[in-house]
Amino acid sequence: MTRWQVTRLVAGREIRERVRSKAMRISTGVTMLIILAVAVLPGLVGDDGPTTYDVGVFGPRADQLAERLPVVAALSGEDVIFDVRPLPSMAEAERLVGDGDLDAAVGDNEVVVDEELGDRLGFLVQEANRQVVGESALAAAGVPPDVADRVLLPEPLPVRALDPPSEEETEREGLVFVGTMLLYGQLLGFGYWVASGVVEEKASRVVEILLAKAPATQLLAGKVAGIGVIGLAQLSAFMVVGLAAASLSGTIDLPSGIVPVAFQVVGWFVLGFAFYGGLFAVAGALASRAEELQSTTTPLTFVVIGSFFAAVSTGGDPGGSVAQIATYLPPSAPLVVPIRVAAHEVGVGTVILSVTIVLAGIAGVVGLAGRVYAGGALQFRGQLKLRAALAEGRQVEREPAA
Amino acid sequence: MLELLALTKRFGAVLALDGLAMTVGPGRIHGFVGRNGAGKTTTMRVILGLALPDSGEVRWKGRSVTADERRQFGYMPEERGLYPKMSARDQVAYFARLSGMPSGEAAAAADEVLASIGLGERALEPVERLSLGNQQRAQLAAALVTAPELLVLDEPFSGLDPVGVDVLAGVLRSQVDKGTAVVFSSHQLELVERLSDEVTIIDAGRTVASGTVAAVRASRGTDLIKVALQDGRTDWADRLDQVAVVGREGDVLVLELKPGADDQAVLDAARRAGRVRSFRREYPSLTELFREVVSR
Repeated sequence: MTRWQVTRLVAGREIRERVRSKAMRISTGVTMLIILAVAVLPGLVGDDGPTTYDVGVFGPRADQLAERLPVVAALSGEDVIFDVRPLPSMAEAERLVGDGDLDAAVGDNEVVVDEELGDRLGFLVQEANRQVVGESALAAAGVPPDVADRVLLPEPLPVRALDPPSEEETEREGLVFVGTMLLYGQLLGFGYWVASGVVEEKASRVVEILLAKAPATQLLAGKVAGIGVIGLAQLSAFMVVGLAAASLSGTIDLPSGIVPVAFQVVGWFVLGFAFYGGLFAVAGALASRAEELQSTTTPLTFVVIGSFFAAVSTGGDPGGSVAQIATYLPPSAPLVVPIRVAAHEVGVGTVILSVTIVLAGIAGVVGLAGRVYAGGALQFRGQLKLRAALAEGRQVEREPAA
Repeated sequence: MLELLALTKRFGAVLALDGLAMTVGPGRIHGFVGRNGAGKTTTMRVILGLALPDSGEVRWKGRSVTADERRQFGYMPEERGLYPKMSARDQVAYFARLSGMPSGEAAAAADEVLASIGLGERALEPVERLSLGNQQRAQLAAALVTAPELLVLDEPFSGLDPVGVDVLAGVLRSQVDKGTAVVFSSHQLELVERLSDEVTIIDAGRTVASGTVAAVRASRGTDLIKVALQDGRTDWADRLDQVAVVGREGDVLVLELKPGADDQAVLDAARRAGRVRSFRREYPSLTELFREVVSR
């Protein structure tokens, strides 16, 4: 049998057995429900409408304040409505504010609130007060009301943006970020499947028969490929269903160019999984029982989580130094590069360089993993040191192929 | 014909194999015995290519064994291993395919071998739901599915009830009748003696005796004579040249016949000493041979 045939055979078994497994079906179903909820709910709930402030006015300037508050709200551009109530006394104001019936009560020279006024309401109330005070002062100075209004309520300045963000671009960046989060989940989740698959074969001792039939590297490649294919299919299904649901329910309008973005995420999954899958297999080969996986996968989990934080940082600042460094490191590139591409931060040359570095990383991982797997797979007792597995593996790998 | 030539293998400070040699011919059952840690499992792993010897060679049909040939060997490791959630049929077919059999042929071969060892009915159930005895059969089926010319079985009889032992012995016999060479290790030495055409005894990674049981007996074993006189005297043989006194069991004197010595001369000497109540030649069992050989 050729290497390719062995790899395909092993991958085929992985796919068949995983698809049949209840755990896989349940986890897929649950994740799909969460994605549907996230995609559909915002569209169904829709915009939650303007904020309404209940404000009482009392004292000698109550009528002027009641008149000014809605005007200020309208001019501010904020989506707020004032429900203004004239109050007979400060005592009544304190009672209603204390009971929570009013957000605030504005008197002659104070604002009564229960705990605090808040920035938005505070600005609007103070602005209304300034206008009332100004209006009185201008009237006392003999300025006619229409002139006073022009002074107090000038036309808002128009804004001229030099580089206005396109709504599509913002949405695309958002979608890439969500895609990257999914990618992170798939890499970690399916990486763990690889590690536990390897340790299951050790725990059930079936690995000894497997190694008598096929070389370690191909057994490993088949396992990573088989589990990777399922991860890829699941990721694609999540993206298609999530995007379709979000678009149909009106949560988002699909931006143009979303298809290349989706393909990019899928492509980075393939590279990322080839890299991480091999490393997770090493973690599996170093353990003898499922209980030991926790400790043998810990260093790797830190690497994945670190890469995730690099991706979060890149989402906030696609041109920052974290983003730049992470682009050229095999563990983080799959999570960081799609975000930077969507933000137009990197060109084709950078992507090619990054892919090349990741491919080199994969080559290194495959060599390492095959050796550790061959050396560690037949050590059935206790957790193994990486160095010991490598030493034993070097010996077995040395065997000339027939 | 399988030949192991001067195999050595070191694990750190432990010398697991120290010049081990063994030959297994086609159509022969070869018993492989030694104490725990003597190197039996390591030897079997070396045969299968799971461990590489530091020096020495595994030869098959007169040439250095190839990876493709190894894939065709049937192997039952000491630590039994099957996928718990896969059916016996699926995994036996899977192992056949890993050995290079085309898909359809592998399925047919799996069905055939499972039926032949009496697992046909249960072959579609996940292995974890089978009884231990049936799991053992599935394991054997995995080793037999390629119709191997060499069958390597590490402790195949451990954990089997007497019926299971008979069934497995029958399977091995039918395999060697087809010309298969069978190597199996076991601590049940009576069983090894009964089943094997040849045996190899190893100790500390070295072959200490190898060949037919009779040949091993002839080369390594000592022929014992047990003599009892009517009056219970046991000191009459102390000065006899042909024998050495190896022990006394009550009034029975246990003598070791020296190479080339005539047992009839010993009998004459006994008769001169008194009335002989019993005189018995004893050929050592494999168990006794083993004890003697590994205690040197």
